[in-house]
Amino acid sequence: MKKNILVKKIMFYIILVIIWQAISMSDIWPNNIFPSPYEVGEDLAYMIADGSLFFGIGTTLMRLIIGLAIAIAGGVTLGIFMAKIETVNQTIGSLVLGLQSIPSIAWVPLALLWVGPYDGGIIFVTVIGAMFAVTINTYTGVKNIDPHYVEAARNMGAKGTQLIANVLIPAAFPYMISGFKQGWAFAWRGVIGAELLFSFLGVGFLLNVGRQIHDVSQVIAIMFVIMLIGMAVDGFIFKKIENKVMSRWGLR
Amino acid sequence: MTKLETKGIVKFFKHESHQLTALGGVDLNVEDGDFVCLVGPSGCGKSTFLRIIAGLEQPDEGQVLFDGKPVTSTGPERIMVFQEGALFPWLKVQDNVEFGLKMAGIPKDERAQISQRYLDMMQLTKFSNSFIYQLSTGMKQRVAIARALVMDPDVLLMDEPFAALDAQTRDLLLVEMQLIWEKTKKTILFVTHNVAEAAVLGTKVAVFSNRPSKIKKLIPVDFKRPRLTEDENLLGIQQEILSELRPEVKKSK
Repeated sequence: MKKNILVKKIMFYIILVIIWQAISMSDIWPNNIFPSPYEVGEDLAYMIADGSLFFGIGTTLMRLIIGLAIAIAGGVTLGIFMAKIETVNQTIGSLVLGLQSIPSIAWVPLALLWVGPYDGGIIFVTVIGAMFAVTINTYTGVKNIDPHYVEAARNMGAKGTQLIANVLIPAAFPYMISGFKQGWAFAWRGVIGAELLFSFLGVGFLLNVGRQIHDVSQVIAIMFVIMLIGMAVDGFIFKKIENKVMSRWGLR
Repeated sequence: MTKLETKGIVKFFKHESHQLTALGGVDLNVEDGDFVCLVGPSGCGKSTFLRIIAGLEQPDEGQVLFDGKPVTSTGPERIMVFQEGALFPWLKVQDNVEFGLKMAGIPKDERAQISQRYLDMMQLTKFSNSFIYQLSTGMKQRVAIARALVMDPDVLLMDEPFAALDAQTRDLLLVEMQLIWEKTKKTILFVTHNVAEAAVLGTKVAVFSNRPSKIKKLIPVDFKRPRLTEDENLLGIQQEILSELRPEVKKSK
């Protein structure tokens, strides 16, 4: 069954590349506008060979990881406060919902003016983009905790930070993990978008360079890289964590 | 010696727009080592009464005295066993059992030693590395009891812990519960809606009246243990409990 699906997928992509190759050979568009898969692959190989691709990926991932770590730490803290203190929810909570509706790319001008066109500015956009999704999911998770868990834990002597670390966070974790997933997705969009506009190293920067030198095959090659990294993080990191949590709880 | 005393416990409840008096002044004296079963019509507030003793809720009037001192919050000397167990699904069985010890800052090795004793007592050794969802309902209640006993509380507060079990599993646990009580000498308050269960377990059975509830009658049960649900000797006690309970249940309908 599973093998069957894999065969289908591989067949699909092979056919897709063949169609792509056929269109590029048909002379509907000139090659510098619609490059062939081979040319895209060639560009990718160049970028790998001269190291620019890995340097770009490394730079972007460094920004992403720092940004996401700050967003998760901040979002979890804020979410717990919102869930536990009603006044915080009624005040800051409403602001969080509002801020969440701003696309992270809209923070770029402010980041440029406040922090400047450096790593810090890009990380700022990443943090802002990811944090509120983490906050909202943590809030929902903590609100949905079976009150008996907290009562039992308090009865057994847990209080304060002990209660937060040993009960609130693990009990809310199934919700929090979807917050992290959303947060990562927003962070990934945010970091690439910011890099495009800041034009200061990273994968988004390479994309912009491709546009500036009218190298369509480089643009497409970088887009492939962005897609592959996205799929890898979703499929390996988050899927693994999620499966582990769900199987512990017996939800899967 | 009096271990636990409640004096005129009153608890109000908001029901839609009007206020109900759930507990209308409950007085109860529990001696050290008593096994008191609390029965009453559903909605009479017997579970709330237990929660007040645990310190999870505050009474609107009256007070709870533990060893003569007023109870104001939860404490490790009064441990509650919840109906659904309230076990933590993110922890393995052994970590669930050790939870209270961990909170108390007891080092890992020592925790393992202590929990081992109770895992053995509750016949859970084989399951110490299982997750909660992998256990049957009966096993879950064993874990919940082990987790409570590990705290070495003076008083065990049990809120219908066997309500969700099938008859065979319940019979087994009823016998084990008596052995545990004899072995550990704990004072136990046990809420149940099952009259046979109350007669088997209790040294005393407290029958709650309908709202506003008080303790209508405290019936002593003096038979040798371990008692079984099918013991004919207990039929008389069951009838006595029922004759007190029935009119209250009627009033509550």
